[in-house]
Amino acid sequence: MTDGRSSPDTTGEILVSGLTKIYGNVRAVNNLSFRVEPGRVTGFLGPNGAGKTTTLRMLLSLVTPTAGQATIGGQRYASLPDPLRHVGAVLEASSAHKGRTGINHLRMICTAAGLPRSRADEVLAQVGLAPAAQRRFKGYSLGMKQRLGIAAAMLGDPRVLILDEPANGLDPEGIRWMRGFLKGLAAEGRTVLVSSHLLSEMQLLADDVVIIAAGQLVRQGPVDRVIGSMAQTARVRVRTPQAETLRTALEKASATVEVDDQGALLVVGADGPTVGRAALAAGVELHELATERPDLEGVFLELTAGRAGIR
Amino acid sequence: MSNLIRAELFKIRTTKTWWIMALIYLPLWGMALLLNWWQTELVARDRFGDVPAEQAEAVRAVSQPDALAANLYTNGQFLALLMVMLLGIIVVTGEFFHQTVTTTFLTTPRRSAVVLAKLAATACLALIFWLGTTGANLLAGMAILEQVGVGAQWGGAVWEAVALNGLAYLLWAFFGVGLGTLIRSQIGATVTGILLYLGGTIGALTVLAMAASKFGDWVNNLQLLVPSLASALMITGVDIPGEPPRWAGAAVLIGYGVVSGLIGILLMRRRDIS
Repeated sequence: MTDGRSSPDTTGEILVSGLTKIYGNVRAVNNLSFRVEPGRVTGFLGPNGAGKTTTLRMLLSLVTPTAGQATIGGQRYASLPDPLRHVGAVLEASSAHKGRTGINHLRMICTAAGLPRSRADEVLAQVGLAPAAQRRFKGYSLGMKQRLGIAAAMLGDPRVLILDEPANGLDPEGIRWMRGFLKGLAAEGRTVLVSSHLLSEMQLLADDVVIIAAGQLVRQGPVDRVIGSMAQTARVRVRTPQAETLRTALEKASATVEVDDQGALLVVGADGPTVGRAALAAGVELHELATERPDLEGVFLELTAGRAGIR
Repeated sequence: MSNLIRAELFKIRTTKTWWIMALIYLPLWGMALLLNWWQTELVARDRFGDVPAEQAEAVRAVSQPDALAANLYTNGQFLALLMVMLLGIIVVTGEFFHQTVTTTFLTTPRRSAVVLAKLAATACLALIFWLGTTGANLLAGMAILEQVGVGAQWGGAVWEAVALNGLAYLLWAFFGVGLGTLIRSQIGATVTGILLYLGGTIGALTVLAMAASKFGDWVNNLQLLVPSLASALMITGVDIPGEPPRWAGAAVLIGYGVVSGLIGILLMRRRDIS
C-alpha cells in the first residue's frame, strides 16, 4: 500500500468512544464508550435489542455511526490498509452463498484480500471442517456454518477477533471446542471480543465483560470484579432447627432474613462468618451454612432489569 | 483492484448463475436467428410488396447488403442485452439476497472499489457473451447471406456495427449493475429491469409514434433517449433516413452507462449494511 495510510499500532486495542446510532427516533446505541484489551477474551453482553450487533457493525465500518467513533489499533476499520490481516470478524452464520462450496467461499475471500489460496485449506483444517470442504454451503449444519465463519475470520491470521454470537447453533461439543479455540487465541496475545447472551458460557470463557442495555454501557471490567461489585447482594443460606431464634439474632444485627419454601433462612446483609458467629452466640445448632455467590447471570439480570426488551 | 475483479469473476464462476443464463439464452438466440433469416429473405428478394412512398427510402436503406449483413452479424441483440443487464443486476443484488455483502465489505471496506470491480467483472462477462454470440452470428450470417444470394459482406460498415454491438453489451451490463445498486431486492430489480427493457421500449415507441403524428416528425428523434432504441440504432450498419445518426445512439448509451455506474457507487458508499 502506497497511499499513505499508516499501519495500525500492533497492540490491537479496540476503543469505542461516544458511539451513537440513531435509526428514526430509536437510539439503538447511545453514547457508548468502552475499551477492549489484547490478550484477553472480552464478553460483550446485553439483552436482545441492546445494540450489540449495531455496535459491532459500526466497529467494522459496515454501519456509519451517527456520532462518536470506534477504532481498532487506533484506526477505523475502513482505514486499515489490509483489514483481514489485522481483524477477523464473524458476524452471522449465513453470510455465504448457498450454492458455493465451503472451500470456494474461503478462496474467494483470499483472492479479494490478496492472501495466498493455500490459507483456505489451512484455516479449514484449523476449525476441523476439512472433510466438508467440497460440500455446498446449503448442506452445512448451523454449527458447520459457524465454523466456516470462524475459518474465514482466521484467513489473514489477524491480531483482533470480533465474533457476534458465535455459540449460536453449536452443540455442547462445538461450544467446548470454541471456548478452547478462543482462549487459545487470547493466550497468544490476540484481542478477542465476543458478543453473546449465553451468560453461563461467558462466565467460563471471558476474562472481561462489557455489559450494555438499551444502547448504553451498564458495567465494564474483569468478570470477577463485575460479579464482586454485586457481592453485597450475596445471600447466605442457613438451615437450623431453631429458625426463629437465629432469625431474631440476625435481625438484631440488622441483616434481612427471609424463609424459603424448604424452611431454610436466606440472609442478606451479613456474610457467612457473621452468621456463624451469631448462631454460636445464640447457641443455635446449624445443619447447613452456605454463601450463595452471585453468578454472571444473576448480576446481568439485576444490572439490566427493566432495560431489556423491545424498544 | 485486479484482485477484486478476479474475486468477482470467481464468485460468478462458482455459482450456477452463468450457465443458467446461457441455457436460457441459447434457444432465444436460435429463434432470433430464424426471424432474421426470414426477414433477410424478404428484403433481399424484394418481397415487401407495395410500400408507402414515405417509407420507401427507409426500406431501400435497410435493403443495402451492408445493412442486411449488419443485422445478421448482430443477431440476438435485443435479448442478449436483456440477459447482460440481468447478469449485472444479479452480480449486485445476489450479494444482498445471499447476505454475502457483509463478507464482501469486511474483506474490502473500500466500497467504491467493490462496485468498480463488479462493473469490470460484469463488463468481462458481457464481452465474453458478445464474443460467443458474434462468433455464432458470423458463421450463421455468412451462410444465410450466401443462401439468399447477397454474399457475405465484410465491409467497414459491417465491422463497425459488430463493434458498436459489443459496446451496447458493455453498457447494458453497466445499467444492470447500476439498477442492482438502486434496487437491492433481487426480484424487485429483475422485474423492474425487464419491465423497463420490454415495456419501456414498446411503451416509448407507442407514445413517440402518437406524439410524432401530432407534433411532427422531429419527435421521432426523441426515441434516441430510450436506451434500448438507442442501442438498436447503433447497430443498423447504415444511417437510415429519417432517423438520428448512429453515433448519437452510442453517445446516449454511454451517458446512461456512466450515470448508472456513478449512482451505484454513491449509493453503495453510504448504505448501512445490517
